[in-house]
Amino acid sequence: MIRVEAITIKEFRGIRDLTLDFGGKNFVVCGPNGTGKSGVVDALEFALTGNVSRLSGEGMGEISLKQHGPHVDRRNDPEKARVTVRVTIPSLDKTVTLERSLKDPATALVTPRDPAVMAVLRQVKAHPEIVLSRRELIRYVLATPGKRAEEVQALLHLDQVEQVRVGLQKIANSCEKQLIPLGGAVSQARENLLRALEISEFTRQKVLTAANAHRAALGLPPLTDLTESTSLKDGMAAPAPTKPLRIPKTQALADLETTREALAEIASAATTTRVAEVMADLTALATDPAVVAGVKREAFYAAGMGLIEGEACPFCDAPWDLGELREHVQAKIDHLQEVSGKRATAERKIAPLLATFRKVQATIDIVVGYAPLATPPVVSGAASDYSAKCGIAVGQLVALLPLGDTIAILRDLAAVPQAVLDTIGEIYRAVAALPEPTKQDAARDSLTVAQERLEVGREAMRKQKIAKEQAQRARQVSDLYTKTSDAVLAGIYAAVEKDFASLYRCVNRDDEDKFAAHLTPSMGKLGFDVDFYGRGFFPPGAYHSEGHQDGMGVCLYLGLMRHLQGSAFTLAVLDDVLMSVDAGHRREVCTLLKKQFPNTQFIMTTHDPIWLRHMKAEKLIEGRAAVQFRGWTVDQGPTRWDDWDVWKEIDDYLAQNNVRAAAALLRHYLEYMSAELCHRLRAPVEFRGDARYELGELLPAAVSRLRKLYSKAKEAASSWNQKEALGRLSAAASDFARLADASNAEQWQLNAAVHYNSWDNLGKEDFAPVVKAFRQLLGAFVCKDCGGYVRVSPDRETPESLRCECGKTNINLHKKSG
Amino acid sequence: MTTALIAEGTRDVPTQVFQKFLQALGEAGAGVELVVRLQKTLIEERAFSERALKQAVLGEESQP
Repeated sequence: MIRVEAITIKEFRGIRDLTLDFGGKNFVVCGPNGTGKSGVVDALEFALTGNVSRLSGEGMGEISLKQHGPHVDRRNDPEKARVTVRVTIPSLDKTVTLERSLKDPATALVTPRDPAVMAVLRQVKAHPEIVLSRRELIRYVLATPGKRAEEVQALLHLDQVEQVRVGLQKIANSCEKQLIPLGGAVSQARENLLRALEISEFTRQKVLTAANAHRAALGLPPLTDLTESTSLKDGMAAPAPTKPLRIPKTQALADLETTREALAEIASAATTTRVAEVMADLTALATDPAVVAGVKREAFYAAGMGLIEGEACPFCDAPWDLGELREHVQAKIDHLQEVSGKRATAERKIAPLLATFRKVQATIDIVVGYAPLATPPVVSGAASDYSAKCGIAVGQLVALLPLGDTIAILRDLAAVPQAVLDTIGEIYRAVAALPEPTKQDAARDSLTVAQERLEVGREAMRKQKIAKEQAQRARQVSDLYTKTSDAVLAGIYAAVEKDFASLYRCVNRDDEDKFAAHLTPSMGKLGFDVDFYGRGFFPPGAYHSEGHQDGMGVCLYLGLMRHLQGSAFTLAVLDDVLMSVDAGHRREVCTLLKKQFPNTQFIMTTHDPIWLRHMKAEKLIEGRAAVQFRGWTVDQGPTRWDDWDVWKEIDDYLAQNNVRAAAALLRHYLEYMSAELCHRLRAPVEFRGDARYELGELLPAAVSRLRKLYSKAKEAASSWNQKEALGRLSAAASDFARLADASNAEQWQLNAAVHYNSWDNLGKEDFAPVVKAFRQLLGAFVCKDCGGYVRVSPDRETPESLRCECGKTNINLHKKSG
Repeated sequence: MTTALIAEGTRDVPTQVFQKFLQALGEAGAGVELVVRLQKTLIEERAFSERALKQAVLGEESQP
């Protein structure tokens, strides 16, 4: 996406005024702890995203970017706290300047501000994961599978994928849940129809046979089919408008009998036991304050998840970050899973009660319809009230909350009021007292009632059919989405797993060249097991050292970023991350970053100057692509070396006639480089258990080793009869011998008079030639093409060549056999 | 179907998932209208609330 050319930071965090020129290349900010390195990282993140994750992440409490982002002396003047970055966008071949102040972090002043540029910058803003700190690194490695999945999902922006999965699943569940009452309504309608036709089984043939018997009594032709539009009373004369409505005795008695049975079911031992069980469960939930709060909140959060949309809170209009809010609410819902489980158990027990109450309501509603037609009319208020209560109970039992209301309803309905039974009894007696209808009246009544109930049943079936189609569609969509997203994510994890293992092997090829790893997604979790020296797969924290674990974190991060951003992975900011990689593998990490990510600009911080030199020696950083902070004060911010180039600084000291400082720096640098050269050339050095080698032990060994390597190379060239190579090697060996002699380095062990310990006592004119001699000597260890230090290859076993990283220096050490 | 890429080759995993899903839905014989509605919701409008998804899955007939 972008490369950072330069950054200017003013009054931001611990920095007063600092400009760094990255040049679009790898860059290191080095300095002891507390010198302001992370301030540079924060400023970079702020300029690119408008946020500083360090100030807004977990556990930051009352710390905020706006209040605590400005330098402490500018905390009341956020306008002054501003960061300007100049970036290049390779794909657009454009250079762009972004400037933000803490007064309005969300707004960046972008120049030039064209749509293509803004699209790229939006992408950058959407990927704050370009900044990685060690704290974040460990989340990928040592986190629990659930937490790791969250971290990786956040990195891969999978929250939307998960949100859709949860949403579709809820819709499917809700559609299926709807089928239960609709199925009950269909069954109830069928039962009512069966009673009206006095048959016991709902089949097309039996309905037609029963209806045709009544039709025959009325002299109507038989029906031959029962379709969706068939009317059982087809051809029957409509009753005269003036004729009073009367009770269809046979159907009414059947309905009253069913009502009594339904009421008896409520009073039955089975129902009483179930009601008692449910009440006990709900009471237990209700009396646990934490749980009841949880039940309430769970319902609230679940409802809220469906309403989170738009860019602001609908209550107070405060802007919110949709992704963060959803993540926050989902975390709460997850936390309440136990509560959800208890609720689900209660709902399962309640289901049969719901069916009973629905049946009572439906049958009472039918029979109270007969009450006003009786002579004299029966007052049915008690029964109607009880039916209404059953309806309310059904709604309350489905909703479940508030728990107290549900318990009260169950208690209230568990015993059928005597007034209800009396009313039903009174209607029954009124109906039973009616004269028996004529055969024709009975037939007419039966067909009329049956047709009404058939239509009710048809409507119920129509609704049920639509609901079934919806449920099937919703389930198909949900299942297919889960299957597809699982397949895509499994593919991503497989690719990342492969890339991760490959990257880790690059770093640890010396002892873990068979390393493999398993990233296993399962039920919202992400298992992560790694091979431990062929002994099996274990969690990274089980046997690997912390340094190795950090190496894994870096490799997993890089694998994920490479997968996520592909060719757009052009920038990564690693805040003290590489420091935690175990010391034995830092060189390999440098090679990894350089070779595997040649198009990525790494901006890194470290408090270890040796690490910085490693990076320079390995050409991960070039030229002056580093800044070293030497200290920090609240008034000044970081203090730094403007020019970290050792030779220039030594020259500067000499120009100031400060031989002591120049000598100290030269010695310090030679100590580092000598150790580096001994390592690269596999030079024999007397072993020290405390690893505290002195310059006098290392540099002579390195010089001596290169002399011997040139000798070996000449012997090898002779054995292969490579005269031209032999000539070049002889010249190079002579040049090197001359430089080595000029430095006197090899004499230190023999002649203390020229020992580096006495440099402090030299005058400027005497010391300048010493500097020149060592500068030229170190230059003799360098490839003339790439400027990198040469090394013996391979790292172990018989040396075969002396080569550099670019490959242009490649001197054979292997003699022709025989 | 090509991998979902957004500006400058960044892989947009959600869009990649949504596109694969819509393709699978079409191949599974789901109605064209359903696929079109979901495409509009997931890819064009990027609306992921339960309400928006329900509207896309069930269409106008939200209640039977």
